[in-house]
Amino acid sequence: MSSLKAHLSEEDRHRIADGTMDEERRAVIDAHLASCWNCKSDVAHLTKAVPSLRHVSEPTAPLDDLWTEIHERIEQGKIVSLGKEPPEATPAAAPQKKKFSWLWLAPIGVAAGVVIALFALPGKRGAEDRQASSMVADTGATLVSVVDSSYAYEREAQVLLDKLELQRALLRPEAAQALDRDLHVVDVAIAELKDAVARDPANPALRQLLAASYRQKVDLLKRASNAS
Amino acid sequence: MNARARGSTEATATNGNAASVDDLVRRAQHGEVAAFESLYRTHAQAIYALCWRMTGDEAEARELLQDVFVRAWERLTTFRGQSSLATWLHRLGTNVVLERMRVGKREALRMIDAESAEPETPGTDRDADTRMDLDRALKSLPGGARTVFVLHDIEGYSHDEIAAMTGIAPGTARAQLWRARRALVRLLDL
Repeated sequence: MSSLKAHLSEEDRHRIADGTMDEERRAVIDAHLASCWNCKSDVAHLTKAVPSLRHVSEPTAPLDDLWTEIHERIEQGKIVSLGKEPPEATPAAAPQKKKFSWLWLAPIGVAAGVVIALFALPGKRGAEDRQASSMVADTGATLVSVVDSSYAYEREAQVLLDKLELQRALLRPEAAQALDRDLHVVDVAIAELKDAVARDPANPALRQLLAASYRQKVDLLKRASNAS
Repeated sequence: MNARARGSTEATATNGNAASVDDLVRRAQHGEVAAFESLYRTHAQAIYALCWRMTGDEAEARELLQDVFVRAWERLTTFRGQSSLATWLHRLGTNVVLERMRVGKREALRMIDAESAEPETPGTDRDADTRMDLDRALKSLPGGARTVFVLHDIEGYSHDEIAAMTGIAPGTARAQLWRARRALVRLLDL
């Protein structure tokens, strides 16, 4: 056992104070403390004070009012934004409502094609982006937002897929098969919901389901990535 | 007992309610917002306390609390019950706060490596009759020292965990902790 010639280091003092000093080192320290009043006094002071620093009171604040905003953000997150919804028909304008909704169908068809093309050719995304932007701009803000929202999810999913591809070798064969099966099911659901949203863009339930399906895919990929 | 340990103990102590908590979590995982609201009301104060201590700012802590629970809602499906929900939320909250500090390049993390960082002196406020309580004293610490102190001594993270979360070296985390303790002992006149 070596003895200490200098005063204790700050680390030694704090390790004694918070009880994390190992036994072997502790014996050396005790030998020093027996002969050094300066260190002994400081260590005693810290040992008494440090535990009391952990006894914090819980600050209380009225937080119930924050729930409303949290709830709103949660609800917003459930919905795939489609931009401005078609304007509510006023009673006077009611006869025009049906005509208006028919007018939506043509650009929706065009935009659905754009969305599919964008996802089918990820390698040419830059060029497709520009093409899509110009085409979608013609069909209104609603459809621009469809592309944007879908992109965000698809990008995140693609990053996870790329990561997972590298880790696939670590997955058990049956786990990899199960993952592929689950992904296929989710992808089919997403494709069907995209079609449905394109047909009925003002339907919030469809948008919620589409967002939920995207999230399900991302969660599935995250879990698989963590497990491998 | 640190906050994370408290979270585990709460989960054990309320064993009678464990089933209902599990049920709330399961329902929230299936998208039931009302169940998630109950979880919010149970855990909001503890997470607010964490945010408040790490930032030293009430308004920012309230904003962060919202961010934590929105994030918790988004990630609830990844909660597998391996730790208590309180522990999971604490970890999530810590990450959200540190993320905000990184993104905003706030003083807290910038100063983690600043060896010269010293706590603000209470100045004329500090006389024999006004002994600062710990929360007020914490607020006066430099951001880096406060962050490390809260994470280590209050939340119970190890220096290695703190290093991994904040991106600073474990040795720097230790030095910041010692600096924070010394400052608090002095400020609190312990």
